[in-house]
Amino acid sequence: MNWLVNWVRQTLSFIKDVILPDKFFAWETVLYLSLFSWLMSLLARWLGAQDFTVWLMTTLSWMFLALGIGWALQANKVKLFGIPLAPWVAGGIVCIFLFSPWGEGWFRPALVAWPLVSFLLVAIPALVSWDLKLKKPLPPVRQQLVLLFLLSLLVSSWFQFYFRIQSWLQAYPSLAADNLDQSNFVYRIPGPAPTLSAGVTHLTIAQTMVTEQLDGKPWSWVERWLLNLDGHRQVMQDEIKDEMQTHSSLENDLWQLDFQPYTDGDGYKLQLWAIWLGPTADRKGYYLEKTCQIMPVSQSPTYDPSLPLVDPTGIAGTVWAAVDCPMEIRRLAGHPRGTQNRV
Amino acid sequence: MPITDLLSDLGVMPLRAIAFQSVLLLVAIVLEAIVLRQRLKLGYQPSMQYAATLNLLATSLGWLGFLSLEALLPLAVRRQVISYVLFNRLYPNPWMESLPILAVGLAIAAFFITYWVKLGGLLGLLWLLDRQPPETETAPLPTTRMARYEMARRRQLVPQRTESSLALAVLQANALSFTVILLLLLLHNAVRAS
Repeated sequence: MNWLVNWVRQTLSFIKDVILPDKFFAWETVLYLSLFSWLMSLLARWLGAQDFTVWLMTTLSWMFLALGIGWALQANKVKLFGIPLAPWVAGGIVCIFLFSPWGEGWFRPALVAWPLVSFLLVAIPALVSWDLKLKKPLPPVRQQLVLLFLLSLLVSSWFQFYFRIQSWLQAYPSLAADNLDQSNFVYRIPGPAPTLSAGVTHLTIAQTMVTEQLDGKPWSWVERWLLNLDGHRQVMQDEIKDEMQTHSSLENDLWQLDFQPYTDGDGYKLQLWAIWLGPTADRKGYYLEKTCQIMPVSQSPTYDPSLPLVDPTGIAGTVWAAVDCPMEIRRLAGHPRGTQNRV
Repeated sequence: MPITDLLSDLGVMPLRAIAFQSVLLLVAIVLEAIVLRQRLKLGYQPSMQYAATLNLLATSLGWLGFLSLEALLPLAVRRQVISYVLFNRLYPNPWMESLPILAVGLAIAAFFITYWVKLGGLLGLLWLLDRQPPETETAPLPTTRMARYEMARRRQLVPQRTESSLALAVLQANALSFTVILLLLLLHNAVRAS
């Protein structure tokens, strides 16, 4: 029996050594306070306590967590490249606590505020004494604080610049699909290739319009349609503008739709172009090209008796139009109309 | 889900800007520290600290200015700014002709604005560190010839940190760092173009 009692006693003292700190004024105490407040907040929520109580307990738990981890890193002198980590980690925890209730998009202000909050965590102990009175640190400390403040302002500006670039790329998605190697400012993290630019949408809408207007129509209709190219071009540009209104983007007016038919055997080859008028890596600019085949066929693919016959004389030998647009979209440098100046 | 959002958003980062800025800042700080040390007869450490403070101040204010002005620019100019940042070139739009001239004007303005910011920063820093530049002394004029000679001799030996000598030192430091940075940028562009 004696060895059992001894064993229990030893185990207990071992557990005590691990869990209980040597001094009570230590970072472990603060972390335990944080854990305790968090458990209390859970308990309060479970008991259906007032919102204020839950908020108070959660806030206390976060504050103790930041303080405890900061203290632990400080006490153990954890450093990265010679920079003490404590204020940065503690500042990060405070920022997560402050900004995460903001909901969607809280990460941006949190990251921008992070260096400044960390600076405050360093500065406040130096500027405010324990009895909450302002104190004046020695000149070398003041110099250090000024440098630290400016440095954190610079880092914060870099974060802001990063987010500014992200908002540019959101406003002009086609820019993200371009080549960024020439930039002196940005670097693309290697990863999955960016999606094709928004010009594809314009081409798809144009293709749908062409198919609706020409596919399954009598061939003479097609011939007549091709006579009024400029009119159709204008109508199509206007309709695409209307259609793009639904997902409005700043870059809509930087895409211009154009097309040109060429004779190709018995039928026509209609080239649809979405021309990018905005900033590009290539000095000549670029455009997306899609080619549709319009061929005469003897049997209407979508024969519809209610269709008004345009050519009443040739009922028996009516030739119909079949429009076929392959999926392929090519990205070409320059302007499809050659030397034409970009606006 | 901040982590997945973050990873998918990371994409394009201003890493080159950060790297360039760090290098150029170091160059500017070292050069300006040399000038301040010689001109103001400062120690090695204070001159480095002053130069670092002034340059970090000018850079941070420059960033804040850029970030707030960029949001206020007309759409066409914003697009040119985006084009310059992402592709290092302007693109054909109505502003293409006038922007380079405007940029040269802005660069000259930036020189004087940074000079003003740095001088103000140095005065503020000296005040903060309780090292106020001594006012021009209004000592009573010495009566004897010997005393006057003594005083003239001492004037040359005792470092003078009046406002005008500060202004001159900062102007010289700023001019030196701007020139060297401009040369470095030109060199960089020439190397990239070849």
